Amino acid sequence: MKKYKEYVENWEKKIGSFLQFDPEKAKADSSSEGPLKGIPFGVKDNIAVKGFDMTCGSKILENFNCPYTATAVEKLQNKGAVVVGKMNMDEFGMGSSTDNSALGETNNPWDTSRVAGGSSGGSAAAVAAGLVPFALGSDTGGSVRQPASFCGVYGLKPTYGTVSRYGLTAYASSLETIGICAESTAMTRDVFNIIKGIDVMDNTTVDYKPSGKDDSNTIAVLKVGEGDLSDDVLNSYKVSQQRITDLGYTVTEVELPTLKYVVPAYYVIATAEASANLARFNGIRYGLAEKGAETPSDLMQMSRHSGFGDEVKLRILLGTYVLRSGFQDQYYHRAQKIRTAILNDFNRIFEQADALMLPVFPTGAFHHGSSDLTQLQQKSADLYTCSANLAGLPALAVPSTIEKGLPIGVQFTAPAFEEERLFRISEKLEEVFPVQNPEGYSKEWNK
Amino acid sequence: MDKGELVKTAALAKLKLDENEVETLAIEVSAMLENFSMMMEADVEGLEPTTQTLQQENRTRRDEGPIDSGDNLSNDLLERVPEKEGRFIVIPNVI
Repeated sequence: MKKYKEYVENWEKKIGSFLQFDPEKAKADSSSEGPLKGIPFGVKDNIAVKGFDMTCGSKILENFNCPYTATAVEKLQNKGAVVVGKMNMDEFGMGSSTDNSALGETNNPWDTSRVAGGSSGGSAAAVAAGLVPFALGSDTGGSVRQPASFCGVYGLKPTYGTVSRYGLTAYASSLETIGICAESTAMTRDVFNIIKGIDVMDNTTVDYKPSGKDDSNTIAVLKVGEGDLSDDVLNSYKVSQQRITDLGYTVTEVELPTLKYVVPAYYVIATAEASANLARFNGIRYGLAEKGAETPSDLMQMSRHSGFGDEVKLRILLGTYVLRSGFQDQYYHRAQKIRTAILNDFNRIFEQADALMLPVFPTGAFHHGSSDLTQLQQKSADLYTCSANLAGLPALAVPSTIEKGLPIGVQFTAPAFEEERLFRISEKLEEVFPVQNPEGYSKEWNK
Repeated sequence: MDKGELVKTAALAKLKLDENEVETLAIEVSAMLENFSMMMEADVEGLEPTTQTLQQENRTRRDEGPIDSGDNLSNDLLERVPEKEGRFIVIPNVI
C-alpha cells in the first residue's frame, strides 16, 4: 500500500488527475469479497461517493461533502471494488480539456504540456498512468470517449438509461450517462455488466434488451472528407479500417447526412437542459452562499456570480436564451427534430451493418490554453461523439495507434443495448494492438 | 446578441454579470448563436421532435411516500445548509 501511494503521489505531481486521493476513506463501504475484491477505482467528481467531497470541478461546490453514494458506485463497492479518490473534470462537465476545472489542472500522462481531454480528463489520465485500472466518468457529448482517446485507454458511453444516474450531478439529463474509462476491454465489460440495470431511484433507467446477436459480420465505416481530420488522426483511422478488414469483417463506407447539424443541435439541447438543471445552485440549500445579500434574489445572483466559471455562465446564458418565449421554435424545437434526423441516419446504417466505425475527435491531445483549438473549435469537434448521445446509442473508444508519441483512438457505435457487440470488436482489435503505456507506467496497484 | 438582450437573459438566469463579463460574453454568445443558425439549413419537414430515445412511456412508482434508504439522509442534507434555524432554512428578507 505504501509503494502504491508513493507511485500515485509521484505521478500526481506531473498530471494532477485526482481532486481527492484517499484509499482508506471509503474502504469500509466496499465488500471484502466479490469479483472486483480490492480493486481500486476513481470516480469523476460529479458522481456521489459518501465521505468524499463532490465538487463538480466548481467553486460553487468546493467544500461540499457528499452525504450519499451513487447507485453505480455502490454496485461496484458491493462487488469488492474500492473508491480511492475523486477525479478532476471540466466544471459541471462543460468542456473538452479539463482546463475548465476551477480546482486544478490535469495534464496528459503522455505529454504533460498537453491536455488529457475532457470533461472526464482526470478519469482517463489516472487509468493511462496506471493509478487505477478503471474509473467512472460521465458522457454527455463525448466526455468519456474523447479523453480516453487522448490518453490511450478504453472509454465506454453506455446506451442511455442502462446505467442509473442516481448520484450523478445533472447537466443535460436527456443526453448523459455514467461511463467507464478502463485499461482493457475485459475490464470495461466487467464494470459495465456490474453497474447496468433498472434502479428505482432513476425512473429513466430501462429494461436491458440486447438482440443476442453479439458477433458482427459487417462494419460500416464513416467516410471522412479532406480536412475533416488532422493528418495523425486520419492516418490512425486508415490503420483501424485496414485492421477490421484484415480481421475478416465486411467493411462498407457510409455517410451521415445529418452530421453537419449535430453540433448546433447538441449545444441547443445541452445548454437548454443545463440552464434548468443548474438553477439548483443558488446559495440557499447547499454550496457557496455569498454573505451580505439583502434579498433572496440578491443571494442567488451573488452566489452564482462568484461560484460559476466562464464556460458555465456562457452555457447557462445560451440555454436560457434558446428557451425564451418567442425563440423556442427557432432553436429548441428545431434541434429536437434534428435529433430525430440523426437517429434516422443511424437506423438506416444499422439496417445494413452491425456496427459503425467513426473517429473520436478530429485531433489528438492538444496543448493547454486555446492556442491549438479555440473554445468554439473544441465544441465543433464534438461532432463524432455527440451524435451517439443525441441518439441514445452505446459507443466505445478503442486505442488505435500512437502518432508522434501521442495515443489516438477510434470509435465504434451500435444499436441500443448492443454493448457486447462493441466489446467483441474491441477485443479482436486489442489482440492486434494492445493498450500502450506512457513512460514511467507500472501496475503498482496490483502488487 | 446585443448587450441589452444579454443583460435581460442574465437576469432571467439569476446571473449577476460584471462589466467585463458582459463585454466578453456578448461576443461568445453571439458566436454560438451564429453556429446555431446553421440548423436553419437542415430539412426537418415532416419530422417529429425527439425528446428521448428509448423509453416508451413515463414510468412512475406507487404513491407510497419516500423510499426509505435506511440512513438519515434528510438530516445529513440539512447539515449542508449554509444558514438555518433548527430545521428551517434561513434566507434574506423577502419583503
